[in-house]
Amino acid sequence: MNNIDNAKNFLNVLFDSLRSWLGICIFIFLFSIVLFDQMIHDWGRASQGIGNLFTFFNESLWPPDWSVLEPQAYPVCTVYPTFMDFTCSTAWIGMSETIKIAFVSTVFGTILSLPLSLLAARNLNPPWVSYPSRFLLAAFRSLPSIIWAIFFVILVGFGPLAGVLAMTIYTVGYLGKLQYEAIEGMTKTPLDASEAVGLSKFETAINVVIPESANDLISQAIFMFEYNFRHGTVIGIVGAGGIGYYINLYLKFLQYDKVIAYLIIIFVVVLIIDFISIKARSYFTEETDFQRPTWKSVFLPSSMNK
Amino acid sequence: MKNIPSQIEPIIRLNDVLIGYKEDEPLVQIPNLEIFPGEIVAIAGPSGVGKSTLLKTIAGLMRPISGSVEVCGKSNPDRPDRGRLGYVPQSLGLVRHASVLHNVMLGADAGHNTPIPFIGVCLPSSLAKKKAIEAINSMGLEEKISEPIRRLSGGQQRRVATARTLAQCPELIMADEFLSELDQETIDMVLGEVTRYVKSSNAALLVVEHDITRAKMMADRLLVIDDGRVNPFITEPTALEVNI
Repeated sequence: MNNIDNAKNFLNVLFDSLRSWLGICIFIFLFSIVLFDQMIHDWGRASQGIGNLFTFFNESLWPPDWSVLEPQAYPVCTVYPTFMDFTCSTAWIGMSETIKIAFVSTVFGTILSLPLSLLAARNLNPPWVSYPSRFLLAAFRSLPSIIWAIFFVILVGFGPLAGVLAMTIYTVGYLGKLQYEAIEGMTKTPLDASEAVGLSKFETAINVVIPESANDLISQAIFMFEYNFRHGTVIGIVGAGGIGYYINLYLKFLQYDKVIAYLIIIFVVVLIIDFISIKARSYFTEETDFQRPTWKSVFLPSSMNK
Repeated sequence: MKNIPSQIEPIIRLNDVLIGYKEDEPLVQIPNLEIFPGEIVAIAGPSGVGKSTLLKTIAGLMRPISGSVEVCGKSNPDRPDRGRLGYVPQSLGLVRHASVLHNVMLGADAGHNTPIPFIGVCLPSSLAKKKAIEAINSMGLEEKISEPIRRLSGGQQRRVATARTLAQCPELIMADEFLSELDQETIDMVLGEVTRYVKSSNAALLVVEHDITRAKMMADRLLVIDDGRVNPFITEPTALEVNI
């Protein structure tokens, strides 16, 4: 009898813990381990990975080849003064092109996504208007920007035009979703007040919805620029312009030391843009002016910021 | 007793109206209610009884469960013509990130400006701007005209919402607890301006007020919602004889 009672108690405890969040989390984790194990047929390859990484790092990656910051041999660099000749380097040309692609596609994408998101917001429009708009935004968002880049490279050829078109389409889909969610999150009473006095839908959108959600919309657009820049470094790999073109070129020639130099440059620029983005978004996400971070607090760790 | 000439049409007419959020759970039943131009009517009653819901239904923001609601000559679901109805919701409905002038201009545009056909947006109008500035000044907010709403106190925000409605010059003002959070001096000022407008323009004011003493003080007629039904409470000495 004791054994049966013990077993019952054990099962009760087991079911209680399974019912709890911790139990569910543990179950999901174990389930994913099982799935992972089913996918991997040779665990020995994983154990060789660390060794391969050291070999690859020592023989091919390190030290980075910083000649990517030197002017190209052709066309001849005519920049004056001469210390500015790094602006003729492939790293500078590729990086500036990536930033331009990200900026232009963010601006175009924001302009195109705003009307679509106003139509997609369920608190502004009936379902027969909002659902087709949502469907369109979801369709733009369903393919990653690199797939859109391949598509536009086929349509308009290599170069930044394909990059801008791809990133713009993706921005419309992604930013549109963020925007309509922000619009749907706004309080209902300003809309009620506008409806009661008889303002038109367009007046309500221009004079109530956009000013009321402006902070979110601007903050999201800045975030989207940051996002587009990061993804803009990848789309060059398929020929859609930017620094990715040069990364792909040196990958093909197995010049990994140049590739790592580009990756370090991308990392540094991403960090700078992230910091600027945090600062810029703080102007639009804080309730008052008094809580905005200073430049010093953005760039320096808190221990050095006293 | 104040007598209403029989040829005057009521601004609000409710017949056998049942209101509420769910058909099987009606909040308030109103057999018959008429509110006339120049009249100030207060609705009072316990919290959660359906006062604000009644106001929303009259404002056309909710459909009644049954019965007929006629406002400014239009029967639900048709809406009153643009600008004829002024509405101050309980949580004010202001655009918090926009300025005082921007918010008051919304009312002024609704009352004095017509949108361009097919586009639906108004061109700037000097009349609307004049009315907006007059209304802001009448609420004592001239120094705050460019301030964003989020930087104003609760009482100042209430005055902005009232100014928005006054700038509209509507035939009917519906206000939900629009005097709460105000000190006595400001209540006298705001109520004085609104009453002056109502009486001089022959408009009607329908106000939800939880403070029954204040409601009696301001209203020609007090309607008390009690136990799901609007009951008339005749105030002295200027009460109207109503038939509910």
